[in-house]
Amino acid sequence: MSYVLFTATGCTRCKIVKAFMAKNGIAFEEKDMKAEGKDEFKKFYSANRCFITRGQDGVEFPVLTDGEEIRQGIGATIAYLSAGKKLDGFFCVGTLHKEWVDGIHPCSGNLEYAEEFLEVLRYLKGNAMKLQVETSGRNSHVLNQIFVEGLADRVIMNVVGPATIYSKIVGKPVDVSDIQKSIALVAQFPSYQYQTTVVPVIRQEGDMPEISYLTPGEIAETAKFIEEGTGSKKNPYLIRLFKPAESKDERLKSIEPLTSLFPYRTAARACQVLTELEKV
Amino acid sequence: MSYPSIYPTGVTVYNPEKCWSGYTIFPARELGALLIDMNGAEVNLWKGLHGFPNKLLPGGYVLGHTGERSNAFGMQDQIDLVQVDWDGNVVWKFNQHEYIEDPGQEPQWMARQHHDYQRAGNPVGYYVPDMEPQVDKGNTLILCHRNVKNPKIADKVLLDDVIIEVTWNGEIVWEWNCNEHFDEYGFSEEAKNILFRDPNMRSAGGGMGDWMHINSMSVLGPNKWYDAGDERFHPDNIIWDARESNIIAIIEKKTGKIVWKVGPDYNASPELKKLGWIIGQHHAHMIPRGLPGEGNILVFDNGGWAGYGAPNPGSPTGAKNALRDYTRVLEFDPVTLEIVWQYTPIEAGFIMPVDASRFYSPFISAAQRLPNGNTLITEGSGGRLIEVTQEHELVWEYISPYWGEKMKLNMVYRAYRVPYEWAPQAERSQEVAIKPVDVTTFRMPGASNSRKKETVVDGVWPFQGDGALCVAADEELDK
Repeated sequence: MSYVLFTATGCTRCKIVKAFMAKNGIAFEEKDMKAEGKDEFKKFYSANRCFITRGQDGVEFPVLTDGEEIRQGIGATIAYLSAGKKLDGFFCVGTLHKEWVDGIHPCSGNLEYAEEFLEVLRYLKGNAMKLQVETSGRNSHVLNQIFVEGLADRVIMNVVGPATIYSKIVGKPVDVSDIQKSIALVAQFPSYQYQTTVVPVIRQEGDMPEISYLTPGEIAETAKFIEEGTGSKKNPYLIRLFKPAESKDERLKSIEPLTSLFPYRTAARACQVLTELEKV
Repeated sequence: MSYPSIYPTGVTVYNPEKCWSGYTIFPARELGALLIDMNGAEVNLWKGLHGFPNKLLPGGYVLGHTGERSNAFGMQDQIDLVQVDWDGNVVWKFNQHEYIEDPGQEPQWMARQHHDYQRAGNPVGYYVPDMEPQVDKGNTLILCHRNVKNPKIADKVLLDDVIIEVTWNGEIVWEWNCNEHFDEYGFSEEAKNILFRDPNMRSAGGGMGDWMHINSMSVLGPNKWYDAGDERFHPDNIIWDARESNIIAIIEKKTGKIVWKVGPDYNASPELKKLGWIIGQHHAHMIPRGLPGEGNILVFDNGGWAGYGAPNPGSPTGAKNALRDYTRVLEFDPVTLEIVWQYTPIEAGFIMPVDASRFYSPFISAAQRLPNGNTLITEGSGGRLIEVTQEHELVWEYISPYWGEKMKLNMVYRAYRVPYEWAPQAERSQEVAIKPVDVTTFRMPGASNSRKKETVVDGVWPFQGDGALCVAADEELDK
């Protein structure tokens, strides 16, 4: 298998990936998109646009391909080089810069490979990167291991809603006690934030599903859920706006967006006094 | 400027025939919210009630605050906004804007209100025919503080201005954050440079940049400009002014965007040059429909020191680089920027510029248009309230007798005149004329008013006017 690694001049993350490949004897061809590899990357990008994320600040490098698969970003690239597709789900493309690496999700990968996942984090930390981990609360024991080893510098937990309808919102059965453990754990990291997106909930499935947004009352219950998990009303808690067009569920794409989150903030502040709204 | 050490306080001038008589409410320094009649009799004192400002509502209600956050941690943050009745009972209260934990203090919710607020029903917080503020319902717009970081403006903590709209039940339903519109204010590169390095740093809380210092906020209300199709003046839009930047602006309620402004650079157009530099201003608002001058902007243009821009001899760094040692009260057309009416040292009868600082309040202050066309002016720093006619005649004057002990000033932040009917609990006051005293003959007990001898000196010439003062004055200035 031959690898091509698209890099950018001066990109620290690219250097770390190259060092990983060299250390593990993985042969590759480097193409610097700011130098001799510019035209080739353009061509590659045009052909694979749907697999390469272009964010607000442009394309995150490095981008790795073996001819069949494409992986973007330091986390996903090293994960693929370490364990192939086994770690898919744990990593996605990030948005942070410089020494910060995000797009790390202990809640959504295959638990059988948790140790391999942790090994990637150890490598990143060993290269002086700061890691931001994002979780919806599942796999609390993996998060616990991250905490014990000091592998994350910041954790963002998406508490999707109140315990009573957590599974309904996620769309699959969720062990609420697992979520509770994560809530308690998150507050122990050096830096952390809880957040909830005010999503439309499919209250009743069927041909004519009953759909309505989380209510301010339910957000208050969510804030209470966090308070119970942490024993504190003073956690950083962000309320976010749901963007229907970005939904993966076709049924939710046409729902009218909310016009104001202020009632939600008011409701949440009864249990989490530092609640703020996401700037959009 | 020389002030006498002895001068009368209370009401010093009152012409009932030319005044729009009523009660006047103002925050008396370190005393409370004080309601006086035209002769200065104290009708009601809501003792200890803070006022930033105080406003009287129909029914004898007064708005104010139960306290101010410790200056060690906050800059002018009022802990709440309350409405109390004639007997001092709190009937409405808002404080749930920010949860504050100051070292050594009890953690609590605070409004962090400062400088202004407006209750629905009335756009400006003072008497307007047929626009009574609501007293038992309705939303309230409140000007508040919030600490933010915005590296585009400065690398320091900024004390930002936030306008929130709060329901009668205390729910925030609308919010506008000043720092998020930085690109819309039209700061020059020179201004941005000094603003970044010194966003008006204040010592509270370990240091915070009070970069704009919005000190007035009101609603436009129905107006002729909007009726004629000018969307910038939608009745729901909000006008504010910021003393540190010399900006007066209108924001669109729907989007939060700036849709009209004057400043920060008054050299930017011929119209602005003619309007002249507005510096450190207060209480800019649109005169509401139903009052003489409706649709015009009325502002207390303090002068003093404010703004960001190029360094000059009076401002080596470019901070507070606009300077003027006298005040102007301006009424101007918001479309043409033509001055429609003004009260400056000239209209006050002082020689410009040598005696101009006799009409001067470099901070606080206000102006209210009255139904008969008079203007109530709060010349705040000296605790002087005056009512002047359209023709600039002084028909009422009151000097606050309340000096603070913690701050040795008799300053009055802002005063409002209200109709007698708004305080039905009070017995209607008598209106007794007070003629201005001739100060050339007025003496303190024991001081002489006599001349023992007058000697004629042959050959002396008559005295000249002011054409050869040490500095150019009056007409000579315009040549």
